[in-house]
Amino acid sequence: MAEFSIEHYWALKGFSPNPKQRDAILHHQGPLFLTAGPGSGKTRVILWRTVNLIVFHKVEPRKIFLATFTEKAAHQLKEGLRGLLGMITNETGQPYDISGMAIGTVHSICQDILLDRDRRFSEAGEKSRAPVLLDSLAQYFKIYRRGFWVELLKAGGYITNLENTDPEERYAQMEINRYLTGSDAKGSRHVAATQIINMFNRFSEENLDPDEVNCSDEVLSRILHMYAFYKASHRENKIHTVDFSLLQQRAYEKIKSHQGSQDAYEHIIVDEYQDTNSIQELIYFELSKKTKNICVVGDDDQALYRFRGATVENLVEFEERCQTYLGQRPKRIDLDTNYRSKRRIVEFYTQFIEQTNWAKPKGGFFRVADKNIRAFNREDFHAVVTTARIEKNSVFTQVAQFIFDLKATGKIKDYSQVAFLFPSLSYMGEKNGAVRDFEEALNEKGIQIFAPRAGRFLDVTEAKEIFGLIFHILGRPSHQGQASAGLQSFRDWQTGSMAIATRLMANDPNLKEYVTDRKNELDLIQSDFQALMKVVKRNRWKPNSRLKLDMVRDLAMASGLSPKSKSNLQKQAFLNVLKKKEQAGEPVSLSYVLNRVTSVDWSVLDLFYQLSGFKHFQEYFLLAENGIDEGPVCNLGLLTQYLARFMEEYTPIITASFLDENKFANTFVGSILYAIYRLGESEYEDADDPFPKGRVPFLTIHQSKGLEFPYVVLGNLMKRDREPDMKEIIVRDLMKKEGEPLERISHFDNMRMFYVALSRAKNLMILPQWKRQQQSPAFKEMFNANEFPIIPQINIEELPDSQLEVEDLGKSYSYTGDYLNYRQCPRKYMIFRKYGFIPSRSQTMFFGSLIHQTIEDLHHLLIANRRKEEASS
Amino acid sequence: MKDYEIIEKIREFFEENYELMRLEGGHAITEDIKREALTQVLYYFTKLKDVATRVTDTEVKLTLPDQVTPKGRNFTIEGIVDIVRDDNETWMYDIKTHDLEYINSNKELYAKQLNVYAHIWQELRGQQLDKTAIISTAFPYSLKQAHLLNDQFRIQHELSRWSPLVDLEFNQQEVQSTIRDFAEVVDSIEDKKFQPAPVEVLNNTMEGTKALFATRVCRNCDARFSCSSYREYATHSGKGERGNFKKYFDDFGSDTDKEEWINANLGATRNGIFDGEE
Repeated sequence: MAEFSIEHYWALKGFSPNPKQRDAILHHQGPLFLTAGPGSGKTRVILWRTVNLIVFHKVEPRKIFLATFTEKAAHQLKEGLRGLLGMITNETGQPYDISGMAIGTVHSICQDILLDRDRRFSEAGEKSRAPVLLDSLAQYFKIYRRGFWVELLKAGGYITNLENTDPEERYAQMEINRYLTGSDAKGSRHVAATQIINMFNRFSEENLDPDEVNCSDEVLSRILHMYAFYKASHRENKIHTVDFSLLQQRAYEKIKSHQGSQDAYEHIIVDEYQDTNSIQELIYFELSKKTKNICVVGDDDQALYRFRGATVENLVEFEERCQTYLGQRPKRIDLDTNYRSKRRIVEFYTQFIEQTNWAKPKGGFFRVADKNIRAFNREDFHAVVTTARIEKNSVFTQVAQFIFDLKATGKIKDYSQVAFLFPSLSYMGEKNGAVRDFEEALNEKGIQIFAPRAGRFLDVTEAKEIFGLIFHILGRPSHQGQASAGLQSFRDWQTGSMAIATRLMANDPNLKEYVTDRKNELDLIQSDFQALMKVVKRNRWKPNSRLKLDMVRDLAMASGLSPKSKSNLQKQAFLNVLKKKEQAGEPVSLSYVLNRVTSVDWSVLDLFYQLSGFKHFQEYFLLAENGIDEGPVCNLGLLTQYLARFMEEYTPIITASFLDENKFANTFVGSILYAIYRLGESEYEDADDPFPKGRVPFLTIHQSKGLEFPYVVLGNLMKRDREPDMKEIIVRDLMKKEGEPLERISHFDNMRMFYVALSRAKNLMILPQWKRQQQSPAFKEMFNANEFPIIPQINIEELPDSQLEVEDLGKSYSYTGDYLNYRQCPRKYMIFRKYGFIPSRSQTMFFGSLIHQTIEDLHHLLIANRRKEEASS
Repeated sequence: MKDYEIIEKIREFFEENYELMRLEGGHAITEDIKREALTQVLYYFTKLKDVATRVTDTEVKLTLPDQVTPKGRNFTIEGIVDIVRDDNETWMYDIKTHDLEYINSNKELYAKQLNVYAHIWQELRGQQLDKTAIISTAFPYSLKQAHLLNDQFRIQHELSRWSPLVDLEFNQQEVQSTIRDFAEVVDSIEDKKFQPAPVEVLNNTMEGTKALFATRVCRNCDARFSCSSYREYATHSGKGERGNFKKYFDDFGSDTDKEEWINANLGATRNGIFDGEE
């Protein structure tokens, strides 16, 4: 039993909350609206509030729903909670177990609700049928794949001539592109697919029912028909699928349709509420309908994710929405004291955000305007600095020198304490100008940077090496004719990769021999395939027709057939299998036999694992095994995921019919790899690991969300306001919604984005300026209205010291998954568990999971049966 | 629900799970292995019906927070078990697909795991516990033979002889040393020490099996080709560098294995319009 008060534990942790934090922590009933400015101790408040609920109000952890925005933030909350509860257990002996608590990102909680392990949202005894989640790349492939795409266009009424769909497809693509982007993009299917995906996702996030909305616009009603078809296609197979947006909709449907949903949780707590979308809002209000215990935390000025369908209005208007949905206004508490930054930094960004007019035409504001953000720090220290507007290169050198000096004088302990923030780091896989120039200037001072996800994955060395070798074995598309700039650069990538592979083979004769052997194998099955097809054609057999056993005899006699295939066809065991299948009522087709005889007994993934056995790649593994450098192995792990993706999407097996007419190369390279290339899929990033020591992080402002650094350089002061987004216009119109004025949205979003950037710095915020630099108007205003010191005027000695913070929240390790696996073989553990390599053949894991999952389902069934019996007796 | 209805349900669950895992994993398992998996679940139900029907909590997640490694790192231990609660008795069991012989020869290993789980259950959750056990779903060879021949009489006979439930005494004295060892492993993982099992281990017969570590573990590991220990094992007793190099890479099993692999995966191949670039 808790014998102590919560104040006792605050004292133990050296925490003395201010009155508003205190009120927020102790609040435990009814709706609560917490506005939380930057650095206002929000995470601490959420943690202690949850502790208060569990320890002092006896709320079962499994009755608490706590959602946040990123995996990393979820991990911090989970481990932070474990830590605080552990401390209390040490004092009182009362144990707490939060393993059943719904704590995570909204997507992970939605997945849990659909999976429903503890059957809170299902009728007793039913197997819970969770759909398979397609990530954004899989969603792209689903839609982009020609077969499906044509179906989709057909649903939109674009296709009338099924004999030759090409012209109508092109017309449709041009129309869709023009409608959604303003330019026909020469009828590019890639552009059309990407646009359609964004539109569909937005529909799902708005919970829009395509059959319910009224639409008189011709193109839009075609798109709505396509959306209806797309949605239905996720349910047409036995195993249903969802994309990230539909995942939330499915969870919402499940919650709505189950009787006991409103009792599932006693408390709903949502962090980063400014970045929620409509369907999430529906979920939260639905779950809190009965208890009315909903607590939302967020800062409208830090809203960043409109492009993912987030609507900041959910937060700005929370008080009214609460009234509408729950019939009750929330208590509002403003966490407005900033503990993070020096006073001048806080003053800068609070002044910055007011450089535009947020007033609504009919009164009120498009932001929570009556907050009063103040800095806890009272020092009169010049925490915002700039540079003279001299030549660009001199400015970059000046900044680099300054950072060098910070480290040399010990003001920072490590380069990772300085962050460079940019609105974006790259465009279509190429680094932006300022990013490149700052990097060069730093490199010249011997300082390395770390830019997670700035580059294109296919451009990393390991990817080029492996794909280069694979092209040598399996071939690549034979290119003819004109190419767009993008396609040309992709072709250059292919030839470049092959050249690298050639050099690898020149250095390793075994590798060369291996590649030649594999290639010969493929040549052999292809020539056998041709020989067999001659027989098929001569007899006028249809490949899809049902196999007759005498066909096999004729095939075995094909002239030019290799002895191996011939004997395969004549093997008694093989013939017996065919007979058995026939008797079992599952006759095979002719093409099945053709494929069976002319396929190799290895897959693309097998090829990868064997290639990685050659000396050059072995060395990458050794680097990771010895803890020297894990970069290359991380990238190889990601590579296996792409290869597995190809096998999933098309075929696990390489058959001669698939190789025929270069189909394989066209699909694998021309379709899958080209998509990965164009989408600019980026390199591996470990969400758990902090930034590597010794390097200056270069981040997008979006990546910097929730982080803080002693020193921040804002590398670009310009982000152009754009035209209103067509998707927004469409949704407003269809849903009869109001919101921020369409023509101001982009401007508001840019203001908020810079606000996030400016509020990351603790000690010093550096805003470099240079000649002919573009600046957003708000920055111009700020420079006109204020005087800021420039770098040469800074006396480094007077800057505050910054300590390196080591954050050890602890991690969770599974007894069997981690401990026992590591004990068996640390290397195997590293490869499959830590770096997520996709196994190629291993049947053990599949076998084990299959049995365990089925037994679990059986247990649920038996438990439910027993309950029913008990209830009836 | 009648038994035959439950068995129907098991088949249905099984097929659905199989489809789901095949979709998520991108590759299939061979017919034989798949059939074996289903049979294990069916025999689990037949043989251990009275256990299965008394399960009160399935897949219970246990956590032991606030542990500290020798190097001062915080960590939490997690595990999953099934619980049977009767009027006056509570017991905990863990289902393994390992065979009985292996489990019996490695009892200590399993006991350690259940000891930690029992510790969490009793100490942290403050709940009663009377018994811990391992259930082996891998039925014995003799039963497999009877099953293949579909000889009902022999199946009944072998079923009655089979005792898949391995009782393990739980001993709280041992817990601390297991946790200490666990903590050292956490340090090794965080310090990024990932050397493979040494070649001597590969050459040893595994306790409770007739197989070498290299056969039982490494041959099931797709990453063996790039592994220095496995390479040393595979090329050690050879006739010279070149002959070995090929043999070492040509190890996807016997011709039958390869046939089955092709067969399983051909079934998973999609037909459709293949794409080219734009």
